Amino acid sequence: MTSQFLSQLHTADKLAAEPWSEDATLYQPYEAEQILLPENASCLAVKAYLKMCNLPFGIRSCANAEHMSPGGRMTKLPFIRAGAFIFAEFEPIVNFVEQKDLAIGSWQDEDEKADMRTYVSLVENIFTMAELYISFKNERVYKEVTAPRNGVVFPWPLNHMQNYGKRRNALRLLKVYQWDDLDIDSVIEKVAKCCETLEYKLKESPETPFFYGDQPCELDAIAFGHLFSILTTTLPNMALAQTVQKFKHLVEFCRFVDEKYFQTRFL
Amino acid sequence: MPQSGRDGGSSKDSKYDLSKISARVDRVNVSGLLRTHNDYVMRAADGLFKANNFQDLMLEAMSTKSYLHDLGIFKDVSVHIDVSRGSDATPQGYEVTFKGNEMSRMMGSAGTEIGQNEGSLRTELTIPNILGRGESISLQGSYSSTRANDLQLKFWKPFFHTRFRENRPELSFSIFRQTDKFDISSFQTTNLGYLVDFSAHTMVGVDLTHSLQYENSIRDLGLLNKSVPFAIRDHCGPKLASLLRYSVLYDNRDSNVFPTRGIYLKSVNEYCGLGGNIAYTSSTAHGEVNVPLFAGLVAQFCGRVGVVKETKNTTQLPINSLFYCGGPLTLRGFKFGGAGPVIDGTPIGAQTFWCTGAHLWAPLPFAGVFKNLASHFRMHFFYNIGNCNNFSTENMRSAFGMGLAVKLAERARIELNYCVPVRRQTTDKVLNGFQFGIGYEFV
Repeated sequence: MTSQFLSQLHTADKLAAEPWSEDATLYQPYEAEQILLPENASCLAVKAYLKMCNLPFGIRSCANAEHMSPGGRMTKLPFIRAGAFIFAEFEPIVNFVEQKDLAIGSWQDEDEKADMRTYVSLVENIFTMAELYISFKNERVYKEVTAPRNGVVFPWPLNHMQNYGKRRNALRLLKVYQWDDLDIDSVIEKVAKCCETLEYKLKESPETPFFYGDQPCELDAIAFGHLFSILTTTLPNMALAQTVQKFKHLVEFCRFVDEKYFQTRFL
Repeated sequence: MPQSGRDGGSSKDSKYDLSKISARVDRVNVSGLLRTHNDYVMRAADGLFKANNFQDLMLEAMSTKSYLHDLGIFKDVSVHIDVSRGSDATPQGYEVTFKGNEMSRMMGSAGTEIGQNEGSLRTELTIPNILGRGESISLQGSYSSTRANDLQLKFWKPFFHTRFRENRPELSFSIFRQTDKFDISSFQTTNLGYLVDFSAHTMVGVDLTHSLQYENSIRDLGLLNKSVPFAIRDHCGPKLASLLRYSVLYDNRDSNVFPTRGIYLKSVNEYCGLGGNIAYTSSTAHGEVNVPLFAGLVAQFCGRVGVVKETKNTTQLPINSLFYCGGPLTLRGFKFGGAGPVIDGTPIGAQTFWCTGAHLWAPLPFAGVFKNLASHFRMHFFYNIGNCNNFSTENMRSAFGMGLAVKLAERARIELNYCVPVRRQTTDKVLNGFQFGIGYEFV
């Protein structure tokens, strides 16, 4: 067996050498019936990022997308298949694209990049946790939305077992990030604080549409993915959406990105 | 079988012809029943009362003894035959007493078990005869490093004491969890579910063993490493299977492992798709014919066919129900699963396959010297032919060779063969040289 490091090095070489494969495909659960809020947010973030990079990709919806995924830190979704490579979740996909020099944000200098990365990880952690919290910890949302949607692709009684497993994993993840003993007010407070930081960042350059000037970067993609999903997903408990709604600049930013790259006009 | 002994009863040469001594059974006692209900052993005496000479009586007593053993309640049984005494005794009356020693409340065992192409460590805990009519519960776990792990809780109830005792009906219910690793295709499945099984013999013309099963299980398919072709990755995730399985077996060989004469036929048919989200039908048939030749040589012909078909509810045929051809049990001279369709270099299983084997079995040279030991060994020459996804003889695979086989506990055999693949496909993984095989159903 060759060493892990060598094989990683080898993979990196191959990654850089190959052009973006034309048949790159993004795998995600069914949007209308199945996908949950945290998954939808991360899928949208990746789609926004690829569109911002102007890379062609197809989307395939399949019921077992989560199980097909090679695994990840949080939602395991979406995952992308480009040539022989498979990557799951926002960060690994972004790293993969960056190795090919096709990425947006190559104009940023090291400092700016490090700064931006901080925001990206802040946004990803806070919003994903808040979304998981509302989906699995709020009893009404879980009963009325999360459980029926997650179980829709499985026959009875497998759906109940899958729901149970999924909820257990989500709660475990919340526990790891120490979100499990928060009440909804502290969650909203955390989200509000994150939105405030984002809005402040956005207002640093008031005349440009994106966080860092005229061109989009990773932060734009991931912020859009989460904010837009929270704003447009109808849940029995709209506390998250109402919190985000208070930040007019962010809502405006979402509308702009949607207009420019997606044209769904849900907002 | 109890009847067979009676026809051949040859006491002509002995001094006293026991069949000329008339006898009548007055009483049959079965003692040692502590937990067992009396009605469960009631039919044991049926045959004995029909005996009208002493030879019949002895043979019937023997067959009753083995019947009592089969009931699964006694550890050992002894027979006492005495003239009957007392006021209601007849002149030629006899009294037969079976002294049984009931099994303990709980039995444990540990050992090795031979599966198909694997050996595994097995432990078992049994509580026999819990309700007094042969009902038993067992917890069984087996572990093997290469392929499968198994945990099973089984409850079974024999109906040998009913008027269908000749049919040996038995009902069982088990809950199981089973992990199967398909290393060559880089995936593993975990099955969790329950199984209801009804099995019985029929003796209309030929003696057949039937088994009808209903299985309801969750089959979860996971990957074993990162670079797995998408054709396999597509199958990931849990699915619910609900299926009926019918198998029938005919066996008149004189030995399970090294038969010299007889035929063995087995067929397993599955219909999956009674609810759940897996749908397919699957049939496999296995046959073996043994013909004795001269000087201890035995010619053996084996064949196996398997077909998996879509039903009208099928969206995707489950990869774990497909057939893997090649390996020491099917096509020798190929690696396990190495003689089938591949995608990106990874075997993915075939919808249909067939393979045949012709063997010439011979005892070891100088076998007469170590008679006992040598009976566990055989030499064989073989020729295997087979193919996947194709019933014609074009593009088929074949191999020949010779080897040594060892018998393991009247059930399994171990083979060490030198194989020479003759015909192969470019994608096949062949093994030219020594190959080791272990199992109980070879082709």
